Amino acid sequence: MSRLYYIFLVIPFIFFSCEDEVAIDLNDAPPVLVVDAWVNDMPQTQEIRLMMSQPYFDSSQPPEVSGAQVRITDDRGQTFDFIEKEAGSYQWDPAADSAAFEIGRSYHLSITYEGNAFEADSELKRVPALDSVVYTFYEERNAFQPEGYYAQFYARDPEGTGDAYWIKTYKNGQYLNRPSDLNIAYDAGFSSTTTIDGVIFIEPIQNKATPLNDDEDAYEPYVYGDSVYIEIYSITTEAFSFLDAVATQIERDGGFSEIFAEPLENVPCNISCTSNEKEQVVGFFNMSAVSYKGERLEE
Amino acid sequence: MYYRIFFLTLFLCVLGSTSYAQRKVTISGYIKDIENGEALIGATVYVKEVEAGTATNVYGFYSLTLPVGSYHIDYGYVGYNTQTQTVNLNADKRVDVELSTSTTELQEVVITGESADANVTSVEMSTEKVDIKTIKKIPAFMGETDVLRSIQLLPGVSSVGEGSSGFNVRGGNVGQNLVLLDDAPVYNSSHLFGFFSVFNPDAVKDVTLIKGAMPANYGGRLASILDVRMNEGNSKRYEVEGGIGTVFSRLAVQGPIKKDKASFLVAGRRSYVDIFAKPFIDDATLYFYDLTAKVNYNLNDHNKIFLSGYFGRDVFKFDEQQGFDWGSITGTLRWNHIFNNQLFSNFSFFVSTYDYGLAFGENDRDKFEWDSRVLTYTFKPSFNYFLNTNNEVLFGGEATYYNFNPAEAKVVSDGEVTDISLTDRHALESALYIDNTQKVNERLSLKYGLRFSSYQYLGPGTVYEYEENVPGERKTLVSTSTADDGEVIKNYYNWEPRASIKYQIGKGSVKGSFTRTSQYIHLVSNTAASTPIDIWTPSTNNIKPQIGIQYALGYFRNFGAGNDYEASVETYYRDTDNQVEYVKGADLFINEYQEGDLISGIGRAYGVEFNLKKNVGKLNGWISYTLGRTELKVNGINRNEWYPTRFDQTHNLKVFGNYDISKRLSASANFTFISGTPFSAPTSRFVIQNMVIPYDYYESRNGLRVPASHRLDLSVTLQMKRVKKGEKRKNQDELVFSVYNVYGRRNPFSIFFAQQDGYTSPGDNINTMAYRFSIVGAPVPAISYNFKF
Repeated sequence: MSRLYYIFLVIPFIFFSCEDEVAIDLNDAPPVLVVDAWVNDMPQTQEIRLMMSQPYFDSSQPPEVSGAQVRITDDRGQTFDFIEKEAGSYQWDPAADSAAFEIGRSYHLSITYEGNAFEADSELKRVPALDSVVYTFYEERNAFQPEGYYAQFYARDPEGTGDAYWIKTYKNGQYLNRPSDLNIAYDAGFSSTTTIDGVIFIEPIQNKATPLNDDEDAYEPYVYGDSVYIEIYSITTEAFSFLDAVATQIERDGGFSEIFAEPLENVPCNISCTSNEKEQVVGFFNMSAVSYKGERLEE
Repeated sequence: MYYRIFFLTLFLCVLGSTSYAQRKVTISGYIKDIENGEALIGATVYVKEVEAGTATNVYGFYSLTLPVGSYHIDYGYVGYNTQTQTVNLNADKRVDVELSTSTTELQEVVITGESADANVTSVEMSTEKVDIKTIKKIPAFMGETDVLRSIQLLPGVSSVGEGSSGFNVRGGNVGQNLVLLDDAPVYNSSHLFGFFSVFNPDAVKDVTLIKGAMPANYGGRLASILDVRMNEGNSKRYEVEGGIGTVFSRLAVQGPIKKDKASFLVAGRRSYVDIFAKPFIDDATLYFYDLTAKVNYNLNDHNKIFLSGYFGRDVFKFDEQQGFDWGSITGTLRWNHIFNNQLFSNFSFFVSTYDYGLAFGENDRDKFEWDSRVLTYTFKPSFNYFLNTNNEVLFGGEATYYNFNPAEAKVVSDGEVTDISLTDRHALESALYIDNTQKVNERLSLKYGLRFSSYQYLGPGTVYEYEENVPGERKTLVSTSTADDGEVIKNYYNWEPRASIKYQIGKGSVKGSFTRTSQYIHLVSNTAASTPIDIWTPSTNNIKPQIGIQYALGYFRNFGAGNDYEASVETYYRDTDNQVEYVKGADLFINEYQEGDLISGIGRAYGVEFNLKKNVGKLNGWISYTLGRTELKVNGINRNEWYPTRFDQTHNLKVFGNYDISKRLSASANFTFISGTPFSAPTSRFVIQNMVIPYDYYESRNGLRVPASHRLDLSVTLQMKRVKKGEKRKNQDELVFSVYNVYGRRNPFSIFFAQQDGYTSPGDNINTMAYRFSIVGAPVPAISYNFKF
């Protein structure tokens, strides 16, 4: 759908729209615990971050939460203890532990902090192999797709519905993490309710291997010497719903896409406080398997 | 039981008032404009001797039953010369009358006749009539006269803002308005996201907005009926009308096919921004057009047929294969038949469709295509029985067959095609009604009626059963079954009583009304404003029909010599049930399980509307002010408490004035002030994987308000000289200069929250900001040229 928005770049030619930063008086709210627990099966140190929420306009570093117990348990009772290495950063090093994550198993996160218990569940799901990353040269197609090299990645969603993925792109080592770069897939398509299963990821998902320019008003094709590196993370369907909602909330390009914007809503988190129902907590726990591939554009 | 008694009483009232001993005869006929033969809607017929009268119906027909005798009858219409005829009535008589405009040369409108106090004397309330001449005077956006934007200046009517399709009436949502073009429903009335509407002003004759006190012949929506009637076409002579504006070029041709017997009208418009924008946007294009046509034929004194249609489309493309388009088609076939002097009938058959399509992908190996459509067929017989001078009965029925096609869609990925189409849905909505307007005495008038509506959700299709687990979250699918072709999956029935009362006190009158309505189809949208891709969806076994009950009470009074000033105050209260809302993260498009994402709640809307209007003199116009509130309460939203809707506007003030400076020059101004509409805002933010996510600790909906909106628009109309070298020119033409948003106020369309642009690294401080988006943030000047010959 996001490509529909390009059309809105055309409309301002006839209208007189404008966007201004404004000061808004928001309601005060107490801070709540934030759990950032995205763990994967790659052989590198895994991190779970605990911090507190902040007033919306507070852009400082979120206050870290120290002194919590953080543990993941799998469905056969194996435990993975995450130890606080830096303030708010709880880590587990697979190299220093005989236990390992396995595709197909379910995982339980438990956190104890200030006498409260916070819990969440996830599953480590399959991920398809990343077949290839290719560059194709295109003449100028329109104002949004100037002449140049465009990258696409090819991977085939395995048959059977209910697979979901978070695809991350790195250009010359830089992780593309603007809101507009968020690239998620449900089976081979965009949506959990429209079944597009067992085929190669649809074109708009492949195309996100080429980022938009700094103004985010046209693609920025690759030039010789550039490299692109793609990772596909398997995620749970709950994580897909979460990221899908996050995309709706944070991809606010403004302009005429506002006409199609959905109202602000809290995203569906999967962490809850099991010791006290009234205690609010936000964040997400997800386990991922990862496949990856990189390619440099050579002359 | 209650309804049966009501029904019985109604019949007794009608019958009771017919028993007179005197021999009676009927005078009936059509009232038309002498210049072009157009039927005049709502023209008055007043009999001096009995101090009673009637008005023409929507086809310009009237009928009066009087005791045998000799009468002086005044035929009048606003802006026309009253014609008095002396009639010797000793047998039924047909009198067709043609009225002439008071002063065709003068700009100044002179009001004559008794009709000036109709707003006080008639039982009708909560109804706004705007004639196209007034609409054309209102300063318009980009200088383009627009029916829908004009009615937004009336009390009780508002919109979410520029760029939103449709309008809101007395706190109802956009989908709760029934928009009719020559009887046929228009499922989306906007061009270019609501900047313009589908109604070509050159083809429109009369616009009536019913906000409450709905007569029983209307139904199917909770908030309002917008009844737009098209011109029939000049039956006397050929006429060409057109204009060159900043957005559209318009041309309308009308004339007799057979003088005074048959006539036609064809009116077309096309935007030409794409032509100007061409150098900037390569292959991308954006245009919209519409064509409105009508033919009518007087078979004889008792039979008249009309055929009318609309066809329009908006097209947005960013290259040859990719883009977005939408449009409506309506077709109406009507047959007016006069059974006898007292019984007028109309049989309408109409078809209406609205569809949109989206297409992406540069080649056939990788693409996405989606088309969605709603198609309806309706048959509507209606009868108008002019019982006597004191009673006018309406009765009839209506049956509509719906075909909803939510998605005809496919995805092609690397040559592999996945069909993601959804199956069509079918429904039948029908109604029977009877309504009587009764003049009890000089002071007291009543209008009462009953509408019985029925709805069948029909097969073939898949029937889904859902179960709600957590309120406000996606419902779980429990079972599915298959329904056969024509099988009734679910039945709904509703009795809809309607009643109004008028009581005259001195120079004013008090009016009250009660209306119960039901709505079987729902406009589904989870965007902040209504858009062209909103989906019409039927009531099903999971989605119940919406029910609304409205009470209104008003005081009407005219002031000044010749009733120059019309004033009214109306209060209203509406309770609604089964209002459609959405679960968190609802997926409304191409979703087989869409019903699982729809939830329902209750609504209430109340307010008071003040209106002061001056129709005559060099300075004319109106001031309207509405104080209102509209709220919803849905389990799982806003902590289960009441919350204001997105279009809740506490204060809504509109002032429109037109001043005729000279015979050739007139100036108009329009000012609106609307207090801030609600929006949802976060209290806090949290960071997940370096993404800054807004969070509302209180889970509130629409808790804050955007700043108030206000705007001034001006226009000046200069009539070109009518005389050239001492000779009168055949054609009339005018230049219209207008400025929309004169002082360039940046009225908010929305307030949104976003993080800073660009890439961030772990450990960076990420700024989050609030932005105000204004669709028209500057003065917009425009010139247009209109001609007529």
